[in-house]
Amino acid sequence: MIWSKDETLPRLELEKLQTQRLKETVARVYGVVPFYQQKFKEIGIVPEDIKSIKDISKLPFTKKQDLRDNYPFGMFAVKQDAVVRIHSSSGTTGKPTVVGYTKSDMDVWNEVMARVFTMSGVNSEDTVHNAYGYGLFTGGLGVHNGAETVGATVVPSSGGFTSRQLLLMKDFSSTVLTSTPSFALHMAETALNEGYDLKKDFKLKCGIFGAEPTSTGLKEEVARVWGIDYYEIYGLSEIIGPGVSNSCCESRDLHIFEDHFYPEIVDPKTGEVLPYGQKGELVITSLTKQALPIIRYRTGDITSLDQTPCKCGRTHVRMKSVMGRADDMLIVNGVNVFPSQVEHVLSNIDEITLNYQIIADKKGYLDSLEIMVEVTEEMPMDSIGALEKIQKDIQSELLNNLYINAKIKLVEPRSIERSMGKAVRVIDRRNR
Amino acid sequence: MHTIKQLSVFIENKTGELSDFTHVLSKNGISIKSILLADSTDFGLVRTIVDNPEKAKALLEDNGFSVRFTDVFGVKIDDVVGSFDKVVTSLSKSNINIQYTYSFYESDIGIFIFSVEKDRFKDAVKSLLDDNLEVVSASHFYK
Repeated sequence: MIWSKDETLPRLELEKLQTQRLKETVARVYGVVPFYQQKFKEIGIVPEDIKSIKDISKLPFTKKQDLRDNYPFGMFAVKQDAVVRIHSSSGTTGKPTVVGYTKSDMDVWNEVMARVFTMSGVNSEDTVHNAYGYGLFTGGLGVHNGAETVGATVVPSSGGFTSRQLLLMKDFSSTVLTSTPSFALHMAETALNEGYDLKKDFKLKCGIFGAEPTSTGLKEEVARVWGIDYYEIYGLSEIIGPGVSNSCCESRDLHIFEDHFYPEIVDPKTGEVLPYGQKGELVITSLTKQALPIIRYRTGDITSLDQTPCKCGRTHVRMKSVMGRADDMLIVNGVNVFPSQVEHVLSNIDEITLNYQIIADKKGYLDSLEIMVEVTEEMPMDSIGALEKIQKDIQSELLNNLYINAKIKLVEPRSIERSMGKAVRVIDRRNR
Repeated sequence: MHTIKQLSVFIENKTGELSDFTHVLSKNGISIKSILLADSTDFGLVRTIVDNPEKAKALLEDNGFSVRFTDVFGVKIDDVVGSFDKVVTSLSKSNINIQYTYSFYESDIGIFIFSVEKDRFKDAVKSLLDDNLEVVSASHFYK
């Protein structure tokens, strides 16, 4: 099933629609967002220079830092009275990335999420167990609204409390699970330990998984243990949240909803646009966003695009499952973590120096994050209690500022590995 | 003269850590007079009194240990009922908070080592001396 006729528009018509929407977006941001006007002027571009969608490469890039620099609402293109929803992700110095939605943006979000569910074979007869986190993150509520839009019954369980979730999922006969893939495996493991029969006790037929990079092996494992079809979803809050793209029943690759989000692949170093099929950094321009239109946003995600027709009938281009990052961002249980943010938090704690190391690992199926911090003479070395307090302080600062739960380990001076004299800041032991 | 420089050393909770520490001292002819190990779930603290604290600190630091001096004092007591009580009572009536204490024996006498808040160190020693208790001179330990 296909939710919208816009998903099957012939390519030429689609390009006409994209051109028209890009022109509108560019004219609007130039008119109302000083940040864009200035950036356009710097490189000598006016909205009239954009005559077709292909001219998009003349436009400047937007980066996450731009959103931070214009915190909180500097990049919004509407006044507060038109904004109906705010979401936000973690940032340094308590300055997160803020995104906003008008009523029409919410309609678009619901629309693309309805496409996601329909693409995954979900309709009003289904019960969706939604274990994505609710709150400031876009994951929980974005998925929730889409499931409601297709008329499914939604169980807004959010993350955590695995045993209770299993009980509800069984008793409510949920047919669809939406979560991170690692949480789906963690649930399966817990269910087996608690004596459930995964295939008899549960009525799941499919799952829509995303929010973290996932190997093919891990996807197959999720599908196998639960006995379900695996659909992959992609999105990021700066563009809209979940619902930028999703895989269909015919392909592992993800259709990008191109009538709303225009994708390009660029060389992460030079910014040069690469042809279809080549691997590079995904760049997305919003074509219909009202509250926070975004021009050529550098997602940092490495993938490639495929424009060949898909058996499912959709004409929208497909992206490969994200292969990695153009920067050093880590994704830990679905939460984005930049080592620089961790460093910033550590630098605000007096007793420690910045001899630290971040270790990402798997504990069972879930990610774990450990941060090793070298002790110094400035530390209250004579008291276990005082040292433990430093550990706890670091832990709660990271939780409050970055929403990450890390174990802090104090280690001896000079015990953190140095490579060529330079400390190795991040070790990722998770299998990709 | 009553201030003993105790070494507080951070030790990771893993096999061989303590022997690395003791080896540095023994190899360099430093004698451990007293030692106390305190531990948390993933690290430990060694509190030790040695016969040459300055040299020990430098050697340990050269070998990658994080070392800090803490001022402590020692009180000599006889092996009779009530002798430790006398010491603690003397401190408590002067409103001095004991951070930690540990003991060791030299032939037939016992020595209790005390750590108190820095700004009460002198008061603590004075209180004990006023009560005719024997506070050990630091030179008792040093070479």
